[in-house]
Amino acid sequence: MNRLATTWALFQGLLLEALPFLLLGIAIAGLARWLVPQRLWIDRLPRHPILAPIIGAMMGFALPACECGNVPVARRLLANGAPLGTAFGFLFAAPVLNPIVLASTWAAFPNQPWLLICRPLGAFLIAIMLSALLVQLPEAQVLESALLAERRMNQPLSNLSLLKRGTGVIGEPLPETTTAKTERLGFKQVLDQSSREFLDLLALLLLGCLIAALVQTWLPRSWLLQVGNAPTLSILALMLLAIVVSVCSSVDAFLALGFAAQVTPGALLAFLLLGPVVDLKLAGLFTVLFRPKAIAMTAIAASFGVLLIGQWVNLLQL
Amino acid sequence: MTRGLLIALWGWLLVWSVLSRRLDLLLRGVFHGLVGVSGVALIVVGIAVITRNIKQREPVPWPWLAGGLMAILVLLVPPNPSFSDLAATRPQGLPEPLELAFVLPPEQRTLTEWVRLLRSQPDPDLVDGNPVNISGFVLKLGESPAQIARLTVRCCLADATPAGLPVAWPKDMEPKVNQWLAIEGRMRVESRDGQRVAVVVPETIEPIERPLRPLEP
Repeated sequence: MNRLATTWALFQGLLLEALPFLLLGIAIAGLARWLVPQRLWIDRLPRHPILAPIIGAMMGFALPACECGNVPVARRLLANGAPLGTAFGFLFAAPVLNPIVLASTWAAFPNQPWLLICRPLGAFLIAIMLSALLVQLPEAQVLESALLAERRMNQPLSNLSLLKRGTGVIGEPLPETTTAKTERLGFKQVLDQSSREFLDLLALLLLGCLIAALVQTWLPRSWLLQVGNAPTLSILALMLLAIVVSVCSSVDAFLALGFAAQVTPGALLAFLLLGPVVDLKLAGLFTVLFRPKAIAMTAIAASFGVLLIGQWVNLLQL
Repeated sequence: MTRGLLIALWGWLLVWSVLSRRLDLLLRGVFHGLVGVSGVALIVVGIAVITRNIKQREPVPWPWLAGGLMAILVLLVPPNPSFSDLAATRPQGLPEPLELAFVLPPEQRTLTEWVRLLRSQPDPDLVDGNPVNISGFVLKLGESPAQIARLTVRCCLADATPAGLPVAWPKDMEPKVNQWLAIEGRMRVESRDGQRVAVVVPETIEPIERPLRPLEP
C-alpha cells in the first residue's frame, strides 16, 4: 500500500513538473502561428539534408524549454510543411542546445569543461544522425497519420504527387484554411487549435508519467549504479536510468551530479545525452509525431549513437 | 464548451496544488511559481475557449475525458509518499556542496548540511563533540542500523536522493520506519564495520509531524 501511495506521489510530481513546460511549448507554437504567416518563414527553411537539421538544432536557442515543450513546436513545424530535417533537428537537439540547459549543465559541473563541450556537441551529432536516418524513409512511414494529412494540406501541391495529395485533382476538396497561407490565422483559430493540441498531448503525457512513476517505484535504482567503473556496463546502466527517470533536460545535470563520482565519464555523458531524446515520459508524446516503427528506430538509433559516444569518451578520459 | 471546462479544470489543479502547499511535497521550490502561473494561464485560456464556443457542441474524444477524470482524481487524492520506500530504491549520492557548511555553527546545520560536510571532510574527528540539532525521518536500509534521513531534490520527487546520518539509538528505543523525529545531541566518533564514523548521539528525541517542506535542495 505504501508503495502504491509512493507511485501516486511520483506520478503527481512528474506531471506537475512537466505540465508548465508542455504549456510553454504549445504557447510558443501558437504564438508563432498567430504572429507569423506560416509560409513566409517555413519556405525559407533550408531543405539541404545536412543544413536542415543544423538549422533545426540551432532553433533550440529560441525555445528555452525541455523535451516536453519541444514536441508541440516540432509537431507544428511538421504540420506546417517545414522540411523534415529541420523539424527533426529541432526535436532531437533543442532539448539540450538551449540556454537554460547549457547554463544548468555549467552550474552543475563547473569543474568539468569537457562535459560543457561534449554535451551540446553530442546532442548535435545525435540529432543530425537521427534526422539523416529518418529522412531516408518515406514520410508516410515516419509521420503519424493525422500529422501526415495535416502536413500534406499545408505543402505546395507541386511538392506532392497526385496520389499523395488526397485533395485537389483527386480526393476531397481543399479546406478553406489552406487557401490563404500567407495570411495570419485569427486568434480564435489559434486558440481552438492550441487548446485541442494541449488536451491531446496532455493525455499522452499522463500515460508517460504513469509508466515512469510505476517503473521508478518498482525498479530499485541502486542496482543500476552498482556497475560503477565498468566502462560499457556503466554506460548501458546510465542510459537505462535516463530512460526510466524521465526528468527534464533543464535539471537532469543536477541529478547527474549526485552520482557523477560513482560512474565513468562516458556513462555520465550518456545519461545527459539520451534522456532528452528518449525516455518513458516522452514515449507517449512521440506518438503524436511518429508511427511506432519510427519511434522504435529513433530509440534504437539514439541508444546506439549515445553508447558509441560514451565509449569514445571513456577511451579518452579513463 | 467541454474543451474549455477541461482546460480550466487542469488550470485549477495547478493553482490548487500551489495554494494547498501540495507542491512542497512534490517539487523543488523554484518551480512552484512556474506551476502557479501556468495554472492561471490555463484558467484564462479555458474561460476564453468557453466564452467563444458557448453555443457550440463538439465531440469530446475519450482521451480528453480520461484526462479530466485523472485531474479530478489528482485533486481528490493528495500525495502521501513513503519516504523510506522512495529512499530504499535510490543510492545515497549527494553532490559536493557549493559552500562548505563549516561556516555555520554546528547546532544550526541541517541534516543535509551535516551529510555534505561529512562527505567533503572525511575526518570525523573534526566534528567530534559538536552539538547537533536536526530533524528527519527514520530510514532503515536492509540489515543496516536505522538512520535519521532527509530526501533532497533538484527537480521533483522523481529525482529525490536520500541523505542519512547514523544514530546511536537509545537501547530502550525501537525507531519506527518513516517516523519523523527531532533530535538534539552531539556528534561522537565510533568505529563501525572497521571504519571511524561520526555518529549522532541523541540527548533528546522528539516525535514530530512531517514538516510542511520535507524536501531539501
